[in-house]
Amino acid sequence: MSLHQRLGAALCAAAAVLACLAAAPARADQLAEIRKKQEIVIGTEAQFAPFEFIQDGKIVGYGPDLMNLILADLPDVKLKQLDLPFQGILPGLAARRFDFVITSVTITKERAAKFAFTVPIADATTALVKRKGDESIKASADIAGKTVGSQAGSAQLKALQEYSARLKADGKAPATIREYVSFDEAYADLAAGRLDAVAQSLANLATLAKTRGDVYEVLNAPIGPKTYFGWVGRQGEDSAALVKFFSDGIAKAAASGKLAELQQKWFGFTMDVPTDHVPEPAI
Amino acid sequence: MNAPTLLERLAGYLPLLAHGAATTLLVSLVAIAAGFVLGAALLGLSRSRARLAAGAAAAYVSFFRGTPLLVQLLMLFYLPSAMGLELPPLAAAMLAMTLNSAAFQCEILRAGLASIPAGQIEAAASFGIARRQVFRHIELPQIARAVWPAVVSEAIDVVKNSAIVSVIAVADLARVGRQLVASTYRPLEVFMAVGVVYLVMTAAIFALGSWLGARMGGGRAGARRIVEQAAGGQP
Repeated sequence: MSLHQRLGAALCAAAAVLACLAAAPARADQLAEIRKKQEIVIGTEAQFAPFEFIQDGKIVGYGPDLMNLILADLPDVKLKQLDLPFQGILPGLAARRFDFVITSVTITKERAAKFAFTVPIADATTALVKRKGDESIKASADIAGKTVGSQAGSAQLKALQEYSARLKADGKAPATIREYVSFDEAYADLAAGRLDAVAQSLANLATLAKTRGDVYEVLNAPIGPKTYFGWVGRQGEDSAALVKFFSDGIAKAAASGKLAELQQKWFGFTMDVPTDHVPEPAI
Repeated sequence: MNAPTLLERLAGYLPLLAHGAATTLLVSLVAIAAGFVLGAALLGLSRSRARLAAGAAAAYVSFFRGTPLLVQLLMLFYLPSAMGLELPPLAAAMLAMTLNSAAFQCEILRAGLASIPAGQIEAAASFGIARRQVFRHIELPQIARAVWPAVVSEAIDVVKNSAIVSVIAVADLARVGRQLVASTYRPLEVFMAVGVVYLVMTAAIFALGSWLGARMGGGRAGARRIVEQAAGGQP
């Protein structure tokens, strides 16, 4: 087993044990508890530029800016933000290590069945990035028979798998898919020539191409259905008010034009995002 | 403006790397020191005549040496919160690393103790030296000399093993490296820099360990003095 598979297996086992342990009796309302304790604990994977990443030792990006805007409505509450690998984000939420997840999590059927999503914060539709100057890939369908990477457990990986299956159904060779612990390793392998493309959300790829346009080139066409990034809380009555608090905050920011302003600041373009409801996940 | 050169970029990484290295050092030093004390206590327990205590110490050592540190870290991170206890990530990391290192240091000390021939202690007893003095002046200096290289090696291992504490949200040197890669998309130079910082830390521990080890000769003279006193003056 590779390291990330072992890591994933260990985390799954830990989460399973905890799911049993956490089947505790009714709990007090989370939002009320947060106001009382004057502290909110947030889980984040600060490895996802431009959504959330580290600059000068601080977690910054589109997500943190939006979060600070919303948390201004809880002026007495102190923020405690933990940074950990994505594979530990949802298990940590389930195990009550944090109150809420503020990291860009693609809304999928599987996750929506277990967790409570806020309304979307951004478009998460998957696209491909290739090595700059690689003439063998001109359109997305040219990855047929080539090696493509993505992050293990991500919705973008799922979109890639479905796209590859469609290629096969069309009588083309499917892509060989490699899974990585984080997208950064996939980008590195793409630069090193071990991969021919990486599947990731268009929003992230825009920043990649802006920062390292000397190495990477984005294929500006979606390879999967329209998907969205949201933030995540736990299901259940005790968490409902907290999830609604963040959903309302996002909707308020969208209505005031602040959301589009933040998108312009961090992505360089704005996205069409429905903030009046949680869209039905397409994958 | 020209694009920053490699050296300028490396200089830009330094403040974050230094911060991560400080966290790595803090976790490691606590684990090495507290692990030593706990390891010595475990050794005492495992040599006690009480069967239950000895059995518990043996079970502890085989658990912490026989399961991956990664699993121990995750258990210490997730279990307390599932039981309603609050253990901050940094404290959980220090605790897991300490509990793990204690098992290894216990075995290092056991080997050191076993290296002293029983004849020495019998001889000391026949000179009429008190058991406490035998330990202080005869056994301890020899054990210290015997185990020192292994303890230094364990300390270096602890620093390197600490590179996985980021799975429980501790921003150590390895995590800082990943954070830098995520914002610069330049993995090669970032991880090279991270490797160099680890090497500097482990080399410093090795140098300090060697320097201290070379100053451990005092025990032999001390033992001779105590034997001479017991024998009644000049040899």
